[in-house]
Amino acid sequence: MSTPTPDATSGATRPVVAPPQPWAFPDPVTHDLPNGLHLVTYDVPGQYVLSVRLGLPVSLRDEPRDREGVATIMARTLDEGTEQHTADEFARLLERKGVGFGAGLSDAGLSVDLDVVKGNLEPALDLLRQILTEPVFPQSEVARQVRTRLAEIEQERSVAAHRAILEFVRTFYDADDRASRPTGGTRESVSAITRDDVVAFHAEHVVAAGVTMVVAGDLGGLDVPALVEAALGGWQHGPRERGRHLDTGATLAGDRSRVVFVSRPGSVQTELVVGAPGPDRSVEGGWAPFPVLGFVLGGSPNARVDAVLREEKGYTYGIRSSFRPRRRGGLFLTTGSVRSDSTEDAVRTLLEILGGGSTGFSDKEIRSGVDFISKTAPGRYATADSIADEAVGMALDGRTTAFTTENLRDIATVDAARVDAAFRRFAAEAGISGEGPGAGWTIVLVGDADAHLEAIRGLGLGEVTVVRDAAR
Amino acid sequence: MTSISYPLAERTLANGLRVIVSEDHAVPNVAVNLWVGVGSRHEAPGRTGFAHLFEHLMFQGSRNVASGEHFSALMDEGARLNATTWFDRTNYFETVPTGALDLALWLEADRHGYLLDAVNQENLDNQRDVVKEEKRQRYDNVPYGTALIDIYATAFPADHPYHHPTIGSMEDLDAATVEDVHAFFRAHYGPNNAVLTLVGDVTPEDGFAAAERYFGHLPAIELHERPRLPQLAPLTAPVRLDRVGDVPNDRLYVAFRLPVDTTPEYHACQVAVDVLGGLASSRLIRRLVRRDETAVAVGGWTMGLVDGVGLGAFTIDVAEGADVERIEEVLCEEISALAEHGPDAEEMESVVADTERSWLSALASIEERADHISHHALLTGDPGYVNAFVDHVRAVTPDDVRAVTAAWLAPESRAVVRYLAEPGATTGDEEEAA
Repeated sequence: MSTPTPDATSGATRPVVAPPQPWAFPDPVTHDLPNGLHLVTYDVPGQYVLSVRLGLPVSLRDEPRDREGVATIMARTLDEGTEQHTADEFARLLERKGVGFGAGLSDAGLSVDLDVVKGNLEPALDLLRQILTEPVFPQSEVARQVRTRLAEIEQERSVAAHRAILEFVRTFYDADDRASRPTGGTRESVSAITRDDVVAFHAEHVVAAGVTMVVAGDLGGLDVPALVEAALGGWQHGPRERGRHLDTGATLAGDRSRVVFVSRPGSVQTELVVGAPGPDRSVEGGWAPFPVLGFVLGGSPNARVDAVLREEKGYTYGIRSSFRPRRRGGLFLTTGSVRSDSTEDAVRTLLEILGGGSTGFSDKEIRSGVDFISKTAPGRYATADSIADEAVGMALDGRTTAFTTENLRDIATVDAARVDAAFRRFAAEAGISGEGPGAGWTIVLVGDADAHLEAIRGLGLGEVTVVRDAAR
Repeated sequence: MTSISYPLAERTLANGLRVIVSEDHAVPNVAVNLWVGVGSRHEAPGRTGFAHLFEHLMFQGSRNVASGEHFSALMDEGARLNATTWFDRTNYFETVPTGALDLALWLEADRHGYLLDAVNQENLDNQRDVVKEEKRQRYDNVPYGTALIDIYATAFPADHPYHHPTIGSMEDLDAATVEDVHAFFRAHYGPNNAVLTLVGDVTPEDGFAAAERYFGHLPAIELHERPRLPQLAPLTAPVRLDRVGDVPNDRLYVAFRLPVDTTPEYHACQVAVDVLGGLASSRLIRRLVRRDETAVAVGGWTMGLVDGVGLGAFTIDVAEGADVERIEEVLCEEISALAEHGPDAEEMESVVADTERSWLSALASIEERADHISHHALLTGDPGYVNAFVDHVRAVTPDDVRAVTAAWLAPESRAVVRYLAEPGATTGDEEEAA
């Protein structure tokens, strides 16, 4: 380690750091519209681009099984033509006001994002009104979005990191669960999507009931509630009440603890995904130890994983681990890529390191994790878009950003004992145990299976399946 | 229209280090950003990729700092940090809580002044392996991952400093020695070849004093910087490169040499590229994606560089079954039409509005603001460019766009790189075998 002594030639002694002041997430102001829209605003002086985010509790499980991807196609076609404007005209209208717009689906719901300079908020909200309430989904635009998604499916399959995640969800979740299939649908289901499917999905789900809308940025001089009322007050509530967040968990596959090797002959690297079920934010004992645990195991270049696989062995540019909570249950995922000829040793070493959490953590490494997560918070939540993203993410998780602040306070109190207990709880529920190095883990490799299959089988991780993508 | 006026205070230390402070107390953080005037354009033949490998070694310890300690000591104090290398420069940066500013500067000064005390063969070998994995992950194991490398090699002459990519050649990295590391450090790493920018919760007075405290004693180095190359003329005839392989769809890259960064001609080229392909309402998107349906995506981008040339390109993902030759003809037609008639008022309005929002978004975080300030202080001379950039774009006239399109984006001046799907390559259908 360093020598913190004065050094004549270096000119200055190593400075002592003054601890930061306590910090809290910015305070929101809320406002409810009669149609069910819940508005949350954050005034962040100096943030001249305003971030507008809507979170709609729309479930992928509401897609017809043979039309999966319809929610994604609907989201992407929202701004492709309205009652008053063609797709071309609407794209130009957005750009003339400098509006950045996007919409997409995740397990938590439908997110609609709009960024605009402060002076153009009012016209931007009127464009948003047209997007949400007057889209006409022209046949030609729906067909184009379907073709684009089909091309995207090919792109995703060709990128090892995407390919690995697709195989992971297929292995990890029960085949009957929506979560086992791609969010944006498969080639077969997307090919079947028609304009009528899109119109119907929009009519049923893109309504104001249960929607949380966040506006963050320099709001000085703006009456945001009045502007939002004027623009979106007429948005239909919809025929039924709905909660502000989804509440269903996913069913895991009974045989999820196994290895799948996606064959890529001649691949120069092997892409890895190693995952296990993890907790959500309501876990007994608190959520706070889990971000620390993820950080210590694989959250930085000095974390346990990269200290060995990158800095000692030079197998990888970097591998990252994190706990990813969902509304009900979550995931612990480790992802990255390693040099092809290191595949066997990298997988064995990685599982040893991840499983090694059972032998406990040192006070020093826990302190590092706690300090990093706590002290980076003010900077991580400094911009309008990061504040709005956190706020809408919390809303779709059934929480507010009060949780963000409380959790940070709790993280500051986390010690090795709490992390040890958190790891034991996680490992017990995931089935990670002494029964074998692969027990409890779902392991997906994308790489040169012909070269490494026998070696991987030799690790004794359980059943190993090879998947070969077919020729065109 | 938002007026952009971030405060900028500047001082040059006696040893030549330029220090710029931009005060912003919104959050108790300071972004520390160092740009060093060395990048892959300075690399000697047979030593490509070295500037980037060297950057990795800057995390492996220095006189008073152990290997890996730069990361751990700063992360323990709540810093987010990294470094990057590019054609024209190398940058090192961390965003720290205000109370850790001095520690950040002390750590930076230790490695910028006394790296060589800690460099050894073991560090070099390990980071060489890590860099090779970086190349495999980001370039070799990704469809189209090597396209930019091909574009540079196609658009720029073989003896031009931008002909080879920053990642370099693995054979050259294998040849790198500890002696090379010493020589490179002595030639390029000194206070008079760097800019230090501090943005955030610090006053100019305190920022300058801290810079002096930690960097003031570092000696200036003897710089042997050659003058920048004269402006490279556009290609006089199309140059082409085809790669046939396992890609999901045909992709066409059509690139052009451009004027150097921050010149009025470069700004006009940025507008021209946006009008043609950079916005959702751009001409090529309306025609190829929406009307003809021969492309699934079109992009347009420019790269501001300083050593005698810039780069601009259009990227077109070809729809299944579409004629890639015809798409290239359409691109040339659209360029010729813009060169003849120029953009209309709505197109100009769209480009300015989009530029303003994206520039303000970029400056919204103190770390990115610091990066742009360092960039322009080091490479184009004026950190105030961060406040003026949108006005420069706004000052571009339709006639300027017409003129630069004719001069710089003429179809005969194009460099074409095509990644073509090999018949029989893999598709999404799968078969499973135990």
